[in-house]
Amino acid sequence: MSSTWRAHFTFNRYSQICARALRQSLKESERVKAEKRGLTALRYQHWEHGEGGEQVYLVPPEDAPKAPAA
Amino acid sequence: MLARRTLARVGSQPSVLGAAPTNARNMATLRELELRLKSVRNIEKITKSMKMIASTKLNKAQRAMVQGKQYGAANAELFQNAPPETSTKRRLFIVVSSDKGLCGGVHSSVSKATRREFAEHNLDPESPIMVIGDKSKAQLSRALPNNLALTFNQIGRDVPTFADAAGVADLVIKSGVQYDSITIVYNKFVSAISYEAATVEVLTENSLKESPGFKAYEMEDDFTKDVAEFALANAIYAALVEGHACEISARRNAMDNASKNASDMINSLQLQYNRGRQASITNELVDIITGPFSVSMPYALADQIL
Repeated sequence: MSSTWRAHFTFNRYSQICARALRQSLKESERVKAEKRGLTALRYQHWEHGEGGEQVYLVPPEDAPKAPAA
Repeated sequence: MLARRTLARVGSQPSVLGAAPTNARNMATLRELELRLKSVRNIEKITKSMKMIASTKLNKAQRAMVQGKQYGAANAELFQNAPPETSTKRRLFIVVSSDKGLCGGVHSSVSKATRREFAEHNLDPESPIMVIGDKSKAQLSRALPNNLALTFNQIGRDVPTFADAAGVADLVIKSGVQYDSITIVYNKFVSAISYEAATVEVLTENSLKESPGFKAYEMEDDFTKDVAEFALANAIYAALVEGHACEISARRNAMDNASKNASDMINSLQLQYNRGRQASITNELVDIITGPFSVSMPYALADQIL
């Protein structure tokens, strides 16, 4: 079985997807503890010639407040 | 510093404002002292509570750090067995710090270490830098603005997760920035009261393939790419948790010092306030006692009053 996922995303993304599947399959009490380990609120921005671009959420939060510029 | 200024003002009182009555001037100084005393007391409460919060967070952060370092140790073994052939000129620097302040010198420690690396080793001056954390981003955007490629924030509010590190690693790889190897600059946790800046090298997929020691592993190309990506995420995770623990311990120490300084200031201000209060009472008494002598009065009446 050839793995076709390599064309689309990295190994890190692959392992995060598998981890999410595993966490969602756990028993309720264990799942609540494990969900905390999967949280990320990461924001990033590209820089060009010493000027910052717009800040982008990696995983947009559900209530989606406007991300302020740098 | 503030205490010295107040002392000078109290000492120079007689030469200033000859027109206003002595009592009014004393009261003005006393009121200022009271206000300052109240504000310093508030500050002491705030710094004390911040110290308590940091102490409780430190336990959790240290536990996470001990577990997270094992991820980085696994990397170290691979890179020791497969060292790069040639020394790398164009290195990507990933600077690990955080968004919040009031934590002593953690942010400037990593920023200074990055600038030292640039100055000492003859690197490609176009070497890209990626910063995690707003505080170091501000410092490095002033020092090396044209080298900044990508910055991240919102990490470090709570203990960093592997999801954070994997996200950062993916963005680094996807950004298409050119580099021969990666250097992660972070704060190493030496003890609960001290930390120091340290670096960790991570090799790219190409460097691994070219390294002679790597042939012993007999890996296919696909897996080499996976290993390089995963090793980067591991190394970033280990650096993030260790940096987080350093930041919390530095914040606890900084707030501890601030509370001590604040309580010293409260003591000295309290003494000045008491001295000022007693001085104004004495002045009032003197006025009352010598008052009748400035008005002509029968001696018998004056004797009765005094």
